[in-house]
Amino acid sequence: MEMIVNRSGDRRPIPPQKPSWEIKEISKAFPGVQALDCVSMEIFPGEVHGLIGENGSGKSTLAKCLAGVHQPESGEVFFQNKPIVFHNPMEAKIAGVATIYQEFSLVATLTVAENIFLGRYPRTSSGMIDWEAVHEGTCQVLDQLSLNIDSGAVVKGLSVAEQQLVEIAKAISIESNLLIMDEPTAALGVVESRHLMELIRRLTKSGKAIIYISHRLDEVLEIADRVTILKDGKWVATLPITELKMKDVVRMMIGVDIEEHYPKEMNAQPAVCLEVKNLSTDNDVRNVSFTVNVGEVFGLAGMLGSGRTEIARAIYGLDKITAGSIHLYGRPVKFQSPSDAVTAGVGMVPENRTADGCLFNFEAPQNITLSRLKELLRGPFLSLAFERKVGEDYVRRMNIPAGALEKSVRFLSGGNQQKVIIARWLFSQARLLIMDEPTQGIDIGAKLEVYKVINELTANGISVILISSDFPELLAMSDRVAVVRDGRILQITKGQRMTEYQLIGIASGMGSNAEAES
Amino acid sequence: MKLIAKFLRSTVVGPLVALLLVAAVVSLATPRFFQAQNLSNISLQVATVAVVSIGATLVILTGGIDLSPGSTVALVTCTLAILVKNYGLPLPVGIALVLLLGIVCGFINGFFSTYGKIPSFIVTLATMSIYRGLAFLITNGTPIFSISPQLDPLFYGKLLGIPLPFYYVIGLYIVGTVFLRNTIPGRGIYAVGGNESAARLTGIRVNRTRLMAFVLAGLSAAIGGVLLAAWLDSGSPNYGANLGLQSIAAAVIGGASLMGGVGNMIATLVGALIVAVVQNGLNLLAVPASWQDITLGSVIVLAVGVDMWRSSIGYAFSRLFRRTRAK
Repeated sequence: MEMIVNRSGDRRPIPPQKPSWEIKEISKAFPGVQALDCVSMEIFPGEVHGLIGENGSGKSTLAKCLAGVHQPESGEVFFQNKPIVFHNPMEAKIAGVATIYQEFSLVATLTVAENIFLGRYPRTSSGMIDWEAVHEGTCQVLDQLSLNIDSGAVVKGLSVAEQQLVEIAKAISIESNLLIMDEPTAALGVVESRHLMELIRRLTKSGKAIIYISHRLDEVLEIADRVTILKDGKWVATLPITELKMKDVVRMMIGVDIEEHYPKEMNAQPAVCLEVKNLSTDNDVRNVSFTVNVGEVFGLAGMLGSGRTEIARAIYGLDKITAGSIHLYGRPVKFQSPSDAVTAGVGMVPENRTADGCLFNFEAPQNITLSRLKELLRGPFLSLAFERKVGEDYVRRMNIPAGALEKSVRFLSGGNQQKVIIARWLFSQARLLIMDEPTQGIDIGAKLEVYKVINELTANGISVILISSDFPELLAMSDRVAVVRDGRILQITKGQRMTEYQLIGIASGMGSNAEAES
Repeated sequence: MKLIAKFLRSTVVGPLVALLLVAAVVSLATPRFFQAQNLSNISLQVATVAVVSIGATLVILTGGIDLSPGSTVALVTCTLAILVKNYGLPLPVGIALVLLLGIVCGFINGFFSTYGKIPSFIVTLATMSIYRGLAFLITNGTPIFSISPQLDPLFYGKLLGIPLPFYYVIGLYIVGTVFLRNTIPGRGIYAVGGNESAARLTGIRVNRTRLMAFVLAGLSAAIGGVLLAAWLDSGSPNYGANLGLQSIAAAVIGGASLMGGVGNMIATLVGALIVAVVQNGLNLLAVPASWQDITLGSVIVLAVGVDMWRSSIGYAFSRLFRRTRAK
């Protein structure tokens, strides 16, 4: 019997068995785009099947077809050799397909327990909802994930990471033979991701098959048994993990060879752009001090909930400052709202680009010009023709699909949406740009373009405050990194002088004496 | 094909098609529809609603809602009557003062809906009663007739054979359209309605923008009130009872989304015209009042439906003639 060994060292037999799920030549089109084009795939019981590809390659669409959200125009799906059709997500769930969605499928105003059992609340004999059973079931599944939150907590009040774990809990608690995970670690830190990997290994032991979709190629290569690569809606390859090298994978995804190191340019100048002294806010920032030089990328590193975003919010005028001062180019500033910050030349690329970044009722040009509308004024009126030209300029410069000029940015992939938001701050001539998780959930091609833009910004004397949970990225792209924990800065070091291992050690409180790992 | 698809996707098409259909149906049913006198009547009847709908559109675009313009109109007609007839103020002064009153009413609506953090539905539900109550208070519940002989020509006068209100409406809508499309505050209104938190992060002053929309709505209600007072040469606390809902209907039929961020002035005007043409048609055909409500409601649903389905219609149309290519 053949054995496959994935990177984490698990040995798993591939018995000469039939696949439990088979997808044959599925096609799905949306207005203006062929999302899936004759894609075929086989899934074996107990396997972790990685699904990778750039944004727009069709991964999420394929997942949603299996989950019953979309109905393909052609092709067939077989479960245990019998053809099966899902007209809606409930039918898929009944057939044993549980899904963790990239954008979450939680109702913000309901509690954790109410969300986990949504649509399938256990009933008492009198037909009413059995809330005790709900509570018990919730605690059970939260334990499995080592998630320490109250089952009665309202989802809206949870952090993005906690919400992602609730989304995962929801899927695990369903009786399923196929579990589809779309970017399950996008909002998770290192520790939670580790837990999830262990959980996945446990789940597959009982014969559950898992489709693992992620942009984090290192994770996929670590946990998957086989990997399928999609590009532009078409199937490219399905290979066992042993036959894959990272470089080949990336080449198959984007069709181009890339260097394995991050393209960081050192553009920091001695002049000071931002000076933060003893800053405290009513949102748990405690006595934070640091400076950012002109042309420097200043990284904020920390575990989830460490206070990095809160420091950014304080600088951007979103939270009330209770103590300390901020000086921008030597002048003291007191921003009462983002409006003040933007006028002073600060910009922010927010963590959640759909909720806080993009305006879906606008096309790309209008999203880009929004922070500096004055520039469009010809006399008392805005020149729409000039706006159009600005849009064309940035779309070309940043490699955004031309369709964005005429359609809502809703139709762009995550990576392209992110580029539009960055273009906004380029147009507004910001001198200091705060970027909160700028490459979260976007593909390698778009990530490289974001790094290129960061280099361009710093080369032009613009400073960047970079918040990222991707520690290798943070360490490589930052000139200096501040380690944040509990709203305080523990230390500030040069990015290239620290290893990821050391960083995690300091950020999670294990001390800086942790041994360096080469 | 591409041009047709683009036209089908533009936001005015749905309501415009509905308007043409309705006008066609009515003119087939009675030849009196397209007569000059009748068209003139329609423009007089629609004037007040059309003007008030400008304000409704602005508020709805920011994601809020204003239930009070009808009451503002009543208060404005009564105040104008009292100032001019009872206190003898010159008409232009009276008009200027009631326009200011409208601004104040709008400011109160806007202040509590923004800085006061109360949903606009609740605030304007309250002011809907309060403003009309004030109108009853100052008039002791009775209408005041014959405000001023100078008022009549403001409404019934003609320029080049066309009633003046036609020019008022067109002029105000041009101002409104330019404001929304080509000014910074106008763009701010679309941004706030489209995604409030994203708009805030781009530096737009969200509360200020929403407050401005309500103030302008108050002003447009006041202008509507002046028009109404001129039409009827009287002020009454009972006037404008349906204007709130009618103005919202006009905006919605015109394709404005109640979630905010979507809609435009011209489309609202078309929406107001659809309602006016349907009512006019029913009157010409001497349809009993009971059928008028049913017909009107059906028209509203149909008009909004055509608007919602037009993107699928456009897509189906383009698929017939063009193979969808891979990205």
